[in-house]
Amino acid sequence: MTTAESAPHAPPPGAPAVEVLDLRKSFWDEGRGEVRAVDGLSFECRSGEVFGLLGANGAGKTTTLRMLSTILRPTEGTARIMGHDVREAPEAVRRSLGFYSASTALYPRLNARETLDFFARINGYPADRVPSRVEALVERFGIREYEKARVEKLSSGMKQKVSIARTIAHDPPVLIFDEPTVGLDVLNALEMVRVIRELREEGKAILFSSHIMSEVEKLCDRIGIVHRGRLLAMGTLEELRESSGRHYLEDIFVHHVTAAEGVEGAAVGFAGELVEESPE
Amino acid sequence: MTASTLGTLFRNEIRMLVRDTRTILIAVIAPIVIFPVLAFVMTTVESREEARLDTATFEYVVSGDAVASGLPILERALERVAGDSTTRARFERVEADDPDRVRARIADGSLALLVEIRSPADDAEVDVPSFVLTYRGPSDLSRRAESTLRTALDDVREELRDSAFSGAGFPVHRDRVARVERESVASDARVAGAFLGLALTPFLVLLMLSGGSIVAADAISGEKERGTLETLLTSAADRRSIVRAKLLAVVAVGFTVASINVANLVVYAGLGVLDLPTRLAVDLSPAGTVLLALLILPITLLVASALLLLSGFAKSYREYQTWFFPVFLCFLLPALLPVMPGLELRSAAVILPISGVGLAIRDLLVGETDPLFAGLAFLTTALPALGLTRVVERALSNERLISNAELDEADLVGGPALFPRHALAWFLGFWVVFFVNVLWFGEQLGIRGQVIVNLVVIFFGGSMFVVRRYRLPVRETFGLRAPSPLAWIATLIAAPSALLLGIGLSEWMIRWLFPVPEGMMEAMAEAMTADLPLWQLVVFVAVMPAIFEELAFRGLLVRGLRGMKLPTWAVIVAGGAIFGVFHVSLFRIFPTAWLGMNLVAVVLLTRSIWPAVLWHFLNNALAIVPTELGWVDTTGAFPAWTPWVSLVALVGAWGLFWRSADDEGRAAFSRRGSRPRG
Repeated sequence: MTTAESAPHAPPPGAPAVEVLDLRKSFWDEGRGEVRAVDGLSFECRSGEVFGLLGANGAGKTTTLRMLSTILRPTEGTARIMGHDVREAPEAVRRSLGFYSASTALYPRLNARETLDFFARINGYPADRVPSRVEALVERFGIREYEKARVEKLSSGMKQKVSIARTIAHDPPVLIFDEPTVGLDVLNALEMVRVIRELREEGKAILFSSHIMSEVEKLCDRIGIVHRGRLLAMGTLEELRESSGRHYLEDIFVHHVTAAEGVEGAAVGFAGELVEESPE
Repeated sequence: MTASTLGTLFRNEIRMLVRDTRTILIAVIAPIVIFPVLAFVMTTVESREEARLDTATFEYVVSGDAVASGLPILERALERVAGDSTTRARFERVEADDPDRVRARIADGSLALLVEIRSPADDAEVDVPSFVLTYRGPSDLSRRAESTLRTALDDVREELRDSAFSGAGFPVHRDRVARVERESVASDARVAGAFLGLALTPFLVLLMLSGGSIVAADAISGEKERGTLETLLTSAADRRSIVRAKLLAVVAVGFTVASINVANLVVYAGLGVLDLPTRLAVDLSPAGTVLLALLILPITLLVASALLLLSGFAKSYREYQTWFFPVFLCFLLPALLPVMPGLELRSAAVILPISGVGLAIRDLLVGETDPLFAGLAFLTTALPALGLTRVVERALSNERLISNAELDEADLVGGPALFPRHALAWFLGFWVVFFVNVLWFGEQLGIRGQVIVNLVVIFFGGSMFVVRRYRLPVRETFGLRAPSPLAWIATLIAAPSALLLGIGLSEWMIRWLFPVPEGMMEAMAEAMTADLPLWQLVVFVAVMPAIFEELAFRGLLVRGLRGMKLPTWAVIVAGGAIFGVFHVSLFRIFPTAWLGMNLVAVVLLTRSIWPAVLWHFLNNALAIVPTELGWVDTTGAFPAWTPWVSLVALVGAWGLFWRSADDEGRAAFSRRGSRPRG
């Protein structure tokens, strides 16, 4: 059996593409002691859906997504991607997903075409179909002009396109985008959002994490608000509005976080820490 | 792991490497161009300097209170120099009076030499002049003047001595006393093999380290720095394929760099740019060539694995470079061991990775292959190489490679979960303290002092400190639970039979592996008894080791080894080997390792330390008490059937241990190691 044959391209009937079940991850930090980066997250994401994880920096979004991509091991709980358990079948999980984040760099000395070819192959895409797949990706992302240029010579916008193409090189059913617009200019960020929408239309299950409210508001079908590793609220934007009584996502987010911290009149700092406001 | 994934990953590694200009410069261009250019420049400079000195005029001054009597000898020496057809250098005398001024002129380089001819001292036995040559060491010209004149003076003195002998009627030439001729039994090829055999392993290791390091540094720590490691690890490629592709790349590049350097040497030696020892033609059969390649293989794999492991643990290039030098030395030193005169393959050196293979290569090249020990040497390098490969695979599963956290899950849980990771380091520390104590204070302390310091302070005190430090559960760690009665019976059978087998093993080792001088054996036996009363001997040599060594080695150490998720066989072998290493003398390592392995196995199976304590006590007591009481003739040999009966008894005892074990003990005993995560 080849690796490609063993990779499922559709979830079992009725099952969500991504199931996260009471996932926990703790670290030990010399300064802070035990840090519960993820503290019992449970959610699911179905095919053709963009599920957004919204949270401040340090809320546990990246740790969650890294556990789903199997490069971090859950301390407790588990998750299933296309029915494969992240603890039991990490390779099958990785064959089923594409992972994109600001920290997943490209090989600088490969050219764009070689990059796509390499990742399609090591992710188990059938070898005889790799050339046509690469060709399709080059066409789709407008890479043709610089397909022979080494990645180290490309502009950040070009690199972004190659990087997205790399993520979907093996046509995975599940895609993870971890803060994909970090460091991008407005036009490139918009391009990223457009591509993710397209991928949703193709039936991919997409996990999208961000701390930028407007992006989440525009893109996500359902949203999970994460704070201190816990899921404070989850639902469509309308459902979140109803449950919180706030209209704007920013207000909804602050509402849930302050409620969770139990401190009235507190503001939420960027690091996810509560900062007491002066009574005056 | 599929071949196509491995191939794709390997091609990628090589492609990335080939496109790195720095790498190509360092690995290929530098050896091809810089090295020979450097050699050429040095050779040219040297030959020009030689030509200058060969045609130089050495200005010298003659002074002293015995010039009149010494001058004829000096003039005769200068005539010899002038008549020497191999040099065109000549001496020119300069007149000067003040010796201090002359010395100053020699120091500033305007004069080459001062020849002082002094009268003999008052108490001298013979009345002859004394020549003192004053020159300036750092000056090539002055040095050459001194050496040329000194040689000529020596020749003249010999001539004058011979003529004195001849005048007295003594034969002059030594061939008139006796003639000596020589003949080597080794062919030229063997002589060449002996030379190459000494140089090949260190040369190979040096090149593998320098060549392999180029790709190893980039392979993991470079990927970490670039951020491509996370991209690679989130792909479907399994860790094993990733590691193997990187290993292959390190080996391939190491080989390529080594080949380039060897080819360079050959080409430039052929062109006359470099001087190589003559007659390097080694007579190696096709089978010998295959064997040589087989012996080289584990060295390259070991070096590659170690470099890759270093790359895996280093957080950056800079950290890799910091650690590279100690690693470099760790590999180069054992590679240099075969150069030591008198060191044989059939010795303890065979168990040292790289050294053993180096000795086997040396023997092979002089046509004296020892298949058994060459195989053993192969294994002692190949097994650590494979072990290191597994560790690299595990390193790629290490969350610290990706997460920003300084420590991971085991650190978080702390204490007991963290201990397995630190267990070997603790025992290394125990060993160092133990070794220093034995080496430096052993004699002063005597056997009782040594037992108290080693067993009570280092092993027991150290173990209790570790137990407290990692909050280990005392009962569980030390296996303080009662075994079944059957286990006691099995121990009573196992201890004497394993001892007899151990003695047989020890004798075999001494006969075949480590021939121990008789004097050392006697000193050892004396040290073991050291004129102690029998009851003290039993307490210090049997009771105390049985308690304290068992707590440390079968309690704490075995807990640490099991926590590393090793398969049972590896826990047994490692536990036994570490116990053996603590017995300092090389020839005691194997028998004690054998005992240690049995004791580890019994603790794993019974989940109790007590059978091991009894076994250890019986082993040591039986080894000493019957001899002390004169029940056993130490000079006599055991009957030939002893090992076979012992073996049958030991197998029977193990059957009883198995029957005595509960389900948990059997399950723990049958455990297989955990594989690195995909």
